[in-house]
Amino acid sequence: MNSIIAVTLKGIFRDRVFQGILTAALAFLAIPSIATLSMRQVTELSITLSLSLVSFILLLLAVFLGGTSLWKDIERRYTFSVLSLPLTRSGYLLGRFVGIAIFLLLAAAVLGGAALLVVSFVSSGFPPERPVAWGALVAAVGFDALKYILLVAFAVLFSSVSTSFFLPIFGTIAIFLVGGATQQVYDYVHSQAGQTLAPQLRQLATALYYVLPNFSAFDLKVNAIYALPTDDRGLLFTAGYFVLYSSFVLIAAAAIFSRREMK
Amino acid sequence: MRLRYHFFSLTIILALYLAILVPFTDSMRHKPVLEKLGIIPRAEVLQYLSADQKQLVAASVISKVIMYYGGLFSDGSTLFRQPPDFLAMSRTIHAALKVDPYNMDGYYFAQAILAWDVQQYKIANDLLEYGMKYRTWDWSLPYYAGFNYAFFLKDYRKAAQMYMRAGELSGNQSTMSLAGRYLQQSGQTEMAIAYLSAMEKGARDPAIRKSFQIRLQAFREVLEVEKARDRFKAERGAPPGSIGQLVAAGYLERPPVDPYGGTFYLESDGAVATTSKFSVAGAEQARKKGK
Repeated sequence: MNSIIAVTLKGIFRDRVFQGILTAALAFLAIPSIATLSMRQVTELSITLSLSLVSFILLLLAVFLGGTSLWKDIERRYTFSVLSLPLTRSGYLLGRFVGIAIFLLLAAAVLGGAALLVVSFVSSGFPPERPVAWGALVAAVGFDALKYILLVAFAVLFSSVSTSFFLPIFGTIAIFLVGGATQQVYDYVHSQAGQTLAPQLRQLATALYYVLPNFSAFDLKVNAIYALPTDDRGLLFTAGYFVLYSSFVLIAAAAIFSRREMK
Repeated sequence: MRLRYHFFSLTIILALYLAILVPFTDSMRHKPVLEKLGIIPRAEVLQYLSADQKQLVAASVISKVIMYYGGLFSDGSTLFRQPPDFLAMSRTIHAALKVDPYNMDGYYFAQAILAWDVQQYKIANDLLEYGMKYRTWDWSLPYYAGFNYAFFLKDYRKAAQMYMRAGELSGNQSTMSLAGRYLQQSGQTEMAIAYLSAMEKGARDPAIRKSFQIRLQAFREVLEVEKARDRFKAERGAPPGSIGQLVAAGYLERPPVDPYGGTFYLESDGAVATTSKFSVAGAEQARKKGK
């Protein structure tokens, strides 16, 4: 499995994805000047923009690396030669996933570092009303990376059943959108306004809430931007949720992939 | 030969591009207001659409409003080139603050511009009180709300509460003592001038700073008239009937000028008022009525 992880990482670097990230990261240079458009919260705006840029790049990486990695292997018929090696199909699938996950963490570390530099530069010129919460900023990038690794697990799951790249790419984007909304839908259904909905609909929404991923737990942007205290116990639960949920998705993906007929 | 062909076609395309650029940017500049501000979907929809980028979406929506507002001033005059659509701005800011209730730019803009020009003070204060639930550390929100209560709504009890809260949060005793001094009808104009000067000093956006300067200028004129009126009454024992009387009797050097284009007058109780109600929209209404 280790060799698959190494091959995956090498493949990503060979495809010049990392150079692509560095080019996209040039946008960080524009953030200090854009942030000065704010009237009352220049540093806060620079944090918003930095975190959004990190998040956006990680989303693209998760969708495209996660969605195309397995599909490319099958399309180029690499899987035949790889799977003739003494290696289980699950091992191969997990190796691909872990390789992409490591790359995402690496990208998050580099982009997070750039974000910290930009924010410290802006905050020295425009001191915010409340001191920048550096811990929350690092946590926001870290949990963002976890969120996108969970998304990669979904991309791998879709790849394990699909014969083209449509399902992995668009399915992953759909999961990203749905996962961001589940908590809001749940809150709405259980609010005063939601009581007017049909009871079956409310039950369905509640059931889906427990089944679908909940990405809003990973979103610490508001804590980082406005220096709000983070709920450490809640974050521990989120980390546990990440481990269990992604294990579940990966085991399902491995089970499907092992039984899949390769032509 | 081939190189020359490429060079030739590129030059033609570049020339055509430059030819179209001027009318293109011109037509973009003169787009109708609603098209420029865009129709922002309802806050609930916006919340779902913005996925994990709520703060970014809110910030970009608010900056759109600020740029639209700044653009109205762009030719350097003190008055707007075209009547601004304040209600559309207000709706947009409200939607953005639903998506990110922490965004200070939204509250600041709502208070600096919309509270005066839309003249829906209750809605403005509801928005500020909504913000206080989130920005629990911020003294400026209760400070703004206190001003609105005292100056526009004349609810001095509520105003005092808000000023106290602002004082507690800022740890600044002067806010509290200021509150005490201005919380009577008589100190209204001075309160407005103190508030507007503080706001003007903190304003970073040129369009907003300018709008504060115009408003300050108007209130300084009011203060001059008030002082003259009080002197007149103290010396002659009876209040003046009109501003013209103050000028004629030498209490005022010149008739006061309303920078919004309205006309100052004395109300029956002696209060100084203007037909513009301190906003461009008000001046326009007054003009229409006059016609």
